[in-house]
This record gives sequence, structure tokens and C-alpha cells, in this order.
Amino acid sequence: MKFYQPTSMREFIDLNASLADQSVTLLAGGTDLIPRYERGLPMPDHLIDLKKLSDLYQINTMDDSIHIGAMTTIQTLVENQIIQNEFSAIQMAAHDFAGAQIRHRGTIGGNIVNASPAGDLLPGLYAFGAVLNLIGPDGERQLPIQNFIIGPGQTSLKTGEILVSISLNRSPVKSTFQKVGLRQSMAISVVNLAFVFAKETDEYQHLKITCGSVAPTVVALDKLTSTILDGSSTPQDWPLLIDADISPIDDIRATAKYRKQVTLNLVRAFLKGHLDG
Amino acid sequence: MLHHPNPDFFQLDVTVNGELIQRDIPTHIRLLDFLREELGLTGSKEVCGEGECGACTVILNGQTVNSCLILAVEVHGGYIITIEGLADTSELTAMQKSFEDHHAVQCGYCIPGMVLTGEKLLERIPHPTRDEIKYELSGNICRCTGYHKIVDAIEKAGDGE
Repeated sequence: MKFYQPTSMREFIDLNASLADQSVTLLAGGTDLIPRYERGLPMPDHLIDLKKLSDLYQINTMDDSIHIGAMTTIQTLVENQIIQNEFSAIQMAAHDFAGAQIRHRGTIGGNIVNASPAGDLLPGLYAFGAVLNLIGPDGERQLPIQNFIIGPGQTSLKTGEILVSISLNRSPVKSTFQKVGLRQSMAISVVNLAFVFAKETDEYQHLKITCGSVAPTVVALDKLTSTILDGSSTPQDWPLLIDADISPIDDIRATAKYRKQVTLNLVRAFLKGHLDG
Repeated sequence: MLHHPNPDFFQLDVTVNGELIQRDIPTHIRLLDFLREELGLTGSKEVCGEGECGACTVILNGQTVNSCLILAVEVHGGYIITIEGLADTSELTAMQKSFEDHHAVQCGYCIPGMVLTGEKLLERIPHPTRDEIKYELSGNICRCTGYHKIVDAIEKAGDGE
């Protein structure tokens, strides 16, 4: 296995292009990839480490948006003031992410490209309408995150393409994140939810609820939230409206039935004001 | 230990416990195996091999990391401190002394990781609360002590006791 550590985007793009059609893997934090090799996943012929690409670590803040480099670590997300103040759901997910050693190493880009149905950063990124900036042999393109992740472990990343950064719009909404795992730390989520909302008096002006580990990809509970926003549903309708958007399965961590119930309970607790936010 | 049918080699430069090491190493070996097998630094332990337990914790460029989740080649140009580099054996650090004083060690397998995690926490937060200690230790598993004495040891090391 040949190992490369390009130090500029130009060098990376040329290298990646020169290896087209060969067995190439891009390495971000490695916290998920390296143990997969340990469990028997064949190693590629060419491994390109992204850690020396300083462009991928930039966090650029504009008046109306923030652009987070794909190699930004989970720990940096925990500590970033704008993420803390304006994107609480993402900051909270980062705070409870694995353990310190993995937060120091794991990256936002890795969490997205891994496309795990249980990825803890994903519900927040979906709920805030994250747009992914990709660059490849055919140039740059932008994709909303829900169009990028197409199934468990599957993305629409093309050969030779790389996730460069993640863009989020800044707006005066509030948000919160809830995760249920089998223990507090180092646990893959059984259900994880992000709530992004604007509420004055008793009315929501904006409400987005996204949910991970209950379908092949993160899903938005839009049937529920649209009827809450237009006032056409009552709490009795909520279970069916949530059911319509989720399709959990039984696995080693929990049953589908349990996941449905936990999702309903957490959504109900949020809407009744029993969860922080 | 990772294996590869067609090993390739890489000239690695890395500073380990203050000493610049230059080795031609197979690209596929993990940092943990490089430290233990190549350098004979067996203080870092392998237990789970997938980043859950923290027994392989080392300090890389100032941050705690799991050396079982990193290929040795990734740390090219970097700085590593292992438990062996914390202090020479005749003189313990305050943290190591505190672990001893509070009987925070039973089988000892997790302790190098616990001590390094505790050291880094006190650098950042000199007097952490018990909750802050528990949060920082969430990536370090101990199956003997029940954690209380480990938390005591780090807390009291922070108090300078």
C-alpha cells in the first residue's frame, strides 16, 4: 500500500487524477476506517491522507453563513463559538461524540462521507440545511446533504472527488439535539434527533425535526412539522405522522418497535417543552 | 496488528518522548504496533483495538489519541509522548504519584491511558470538577476499580495534594 500526504489542493487533485481507476482510499481522521482494516477490510493499493491539506481545516465565517472545512475535528466543533451560539444541535452532538481521543481525531467530513445512518452530526446538519462543497476532476459542485447521502455507507461522491467544506446559513433560530444510546459515551446511537426552531409566544414560525438511526439515512419529520406549522394536526395525530416518515429496523442495539417509541417520546417531550431548547 | 499481502515502505520521521526517530516502516502498521514492536515502548496497551477503551492512549501533537486508530505513517513529522516519556522511572509526575497515593490501580492495564488523559485534562483545566473528570475519561475504560479512585486521583492531583 502506497501512502501519500499531499500538502496542497493542487497536489492532491493531480495525485488523485493520476490514480484514477486504481484502488484509492482517502483518509480523514481514520477513527472509523482503521478499525475496519483491523476487522479484515482489504487495504487499498493507494492511501491518500488528507491531514496536511490546510485548506480543509479552514472555518470561514461570513455575515450570513459559515463554511466549515471538511477536516475540522469534532473537538473543534465543540469549542467553536459560532457553532456553540448559533448551531447548538451540532455543538451538542459534537460534545457527546464518542470519547475525547476520538473527538481529537475524527472529522466532520469523515462523519458525513461515512454516511452511517447513526452518524451523530448528521441530524443537526440536515436540520440546518447543510450544503456540501465538493471538488473533483470536473470542477466544483454544491449538493444539499440529503442529496449527497443516498444510503447506509453510500454517497454520491464521484471518483476523484472530495468533500471540501460544509456551508450552513446563519439565522436567528434555536436548536437542540437528543441522543439515546445504550450508555452515555462511546455508544452508537439507537436514535438521535435534532430540533431547529423559531418560536414566539406559542406559535412556531420555523420547525424542522430530523432523526437518525430510524431509516437508511437521516430523515426529516416533515409530515409532522408541516402540520404543526399550519395548525392542522393535534397531539393525537403525531404518532401516525411520525410513523409516516420513519422506517426503523431491528438490529443488535435495539428493536424497530423501541426506536419508534423513543422517537415519539422524544418528539412529544420536545413539543411539550420538556426538553431544552 | 494489521497485515498486508504486498507491504510497501515509508521513511518515517517522528519525535517520540523527545527523541527524533527515523525508520523505514511498512505503510500499513498501526502507531500502537510501531510503538510497541518497533520501539519497545510497551506502556501503551492494546485491549479492544477499535478505539473504545483508551488503553492505547498516547499524546500526539498535544492531544490524547487512540494509537490503535492511527497508522504510524500518519504521524510523520509529529510529536508523541507515551507513558514512558512522562517522567523517568525514579521520579513520578504529580499525577502518577496521585494514582499511587489513592490506590487507583488494580490490574493496571488501563492506567497509562488514564494517567495521560488526566495529565492533558489538568493542563487545560487545572482544577476540574468530578463531572469534568468523568467527561474527559469517557474514552478510557477500566474494568477493575469502578472509577472512583481514578477520579479521586485526578481530582487530588489537580488540588496539588
